[in-house]
Amino acid sequence: MQLLTNHATVILSGTKLAAELGVRPSAVWHSVEQLRALGVAIAGHRGTGYRLQAMPELLLPEMLAPLIQGTIFRDHLHHYYNVGSTSTVAMEAASHGAPEGSVFLAEQQSAGRGRGGHPWHSPRSGIYCSLVLRPTLPPADVLLLALAVGLAVQAAVKELDPALSPDLKWPNDLLLDGKKFCGILAEMNAEPTHVRHVVVGIGVNVNQTSFPHDLEASATSLRMATGKEYSRLTLCAALLKSLDREYRSLRNNPHDAILRRFAERSSTVRGVRVRVEENGGYQGMTEGLDARGFLQVRTQQGLRTVLTGTVRLE
Amino acid sequence: MNQRELKELIEFLIEKDIAEFELERGDVKVRIRRGGNQAISPTSVPHFAAPSAPVVAVSGASAHQAPGATEASSPPQQASTAEAEEEKLHRVRSPIVGTFYESPSPGAPPFVKVGDKVDVGQLLCIVEAMKLMNEIESDVRGEIIKKAVNNGEPIEYGQELFVIRPI
Repeated sequence: MQLLTNHATVILSGTKLAAELGVRPSAVWHSVEQLRALGVAIAGHRGTGYRLQAMPELLLPEMLAPLIQGTIFRDHLHHYYNVGSTSTVAMEAASHGAPEGSVFLAEQQSAGRGRGGHPWHSPRSGIYCSLVLRPTLPPADVLLLALAVGLAVQAAVKELDPALSPDLKWPNDLLLDGKKFCGILAEMNAEPTHVRHVVVGIGVNVNQTSFPHDLEASATSLRMATGKEYSRLTLCAALLKSLDREYRSLRNNPHDAILRRFAERSSTVRGVRVRVEENGGYQGMTEGLDARGFLQVRTQQGLRTVLTGTVRLE
Repeated sequence: MNQRELKELIEFLIEKDIAEFELERGDVKVRIRRGGNQAISPTSVPHFAAPSAPVVAVSGASAHQAPGATEASSPPQQASTAEAEEEKLHRVRSPIVGTFYESPSPGAPPFVKVGDKVDVGQLLCIVEAMKLMNEIESDVRGEIIKKAVNNGEPIEYGQELFVIRPI
C-alpha cells in the first residue's frame, strides 16, 4: 500500500513490488485484490503491473502518526481493516500489558457493541477507536474520564467543521439535531484503590448517508447533518489530539474544571425534562451535576442522582 | 480514646469517604462502618451523596459508649470466635459508586453464583457508573458463599459485593 502511495503516478510491476516487499508475486496479487475489496482503486493486473488510481481514506498508522506528534498515542497505533470490536481487542491487549496510549482502530467492525450488550452499527464510513489508559487516579476520579471523553469528541468535531455544533447529553452521548452520532463506552479494570487499566471505546458516525430502519429515528452522521463529506483521517487526528489534552488536564486537576466545562457545553444538563431508566424508571427535570459528576434530577419525590447512563430527553 | 476523639475520627472518616475502619490499640478496639451492606431502597438514593450515619461499635475497658450512635456489642469471647471465622472469609468490595450487574447483558446468565468455585482474576460482576463498566475480578481462589447485592441495585463505594471462602 505504502509503495503504491509513494509511486502513485507510475505503474509498478507485480514482480518489482514482490521483490521490494520480499514476498512472492502471487502474494502481491492477493494483497491487491484485498485492497480492491476495501475500495482502493488499483488499475492493471498481474501481467501489466499496478497503478494506484484512487484511494479511500484509511486510518493507517503511517498516515495518522505524523498528524498526532507529541501525544501519548503517536507510537502505539494499531489498525485493522475489519475486527469484531476494537474495545474487545483493546481489553485483551490491556490485560496482557499493552502500554498507556495504545490505540486500536478499525475501518469496520463486525461486532461493535454499546452499553448493556447493544450492538453498534459499524460500517466503513465511521471511526471506531479504542484507547488503553492507565491513569494513576483513584477509581472514583477516573469516572470523570467518561465526561472528559465526551468533551474531547465535541471539541474535535467543532475543529473539523465550525458549522457543526454538537450537543452533549450526560454522561457522554453526542447529538446533532437531537440524534446521536457518537457513542462512548468505557470499561475499567480496577481494585478498590488502584486502576489497572481503562479502555475507552469511541464510535463516530462520519460519512454514513443512511441507517438501518431501526436506527433511523435516533441516529445521524456528520454528513447527514451538513450534506458534506468529511475526512475521517483529519477527524481522527483531531480527536486523538483533543483526547490527549483532556486526559492531561484530568490527571492534573480532576474535578472542578471538567465539571464546569461539561455544564457549559451541555444544553441538557440543567432544566430539561428527562426519563431515567434505572431503579424502575422515573421522570424529572435535570438539575446539574453533583461534585462527583453524577447527574441530578428533580422529581416529585425529591432530588435523585443518576448513576448509570440511560437518560432519555422528553 | 475519649468521646471527642471518637467524634473527630468519625468526622474524618466521613470527610474522606472511608466506608469501614478498624483500630486496635492496647485494650481499646474501635470498629466503624458507614453505609454498610444493607440494601439501599430507591427512596434513599437521592440522599446517598450525604454521608450515611455511622454505625459504631466500641469495646474495651477505657472506651466510653458513644450515645445514640452505638451498637450493642456482643460479649468479648463470642465476638472473638466469630471474628476468627470472619477473618478467613474474603470480601469483595466495589471500587466505585454505581449499579451492580451480575451478567454481561440483561437476560444473560450471571457471571457467578453462590456455590461456584472461582479463580484469581475471574470476572465476578460489573459495576456501572456514567457508562463506565467496571469489571470486578476475584483476587482470591475460593468458593462464593454469599452474593450481597441484587442485579440492577445501586451500590456505594466500598460496599460488599461477594463473600468468598478461600481454598
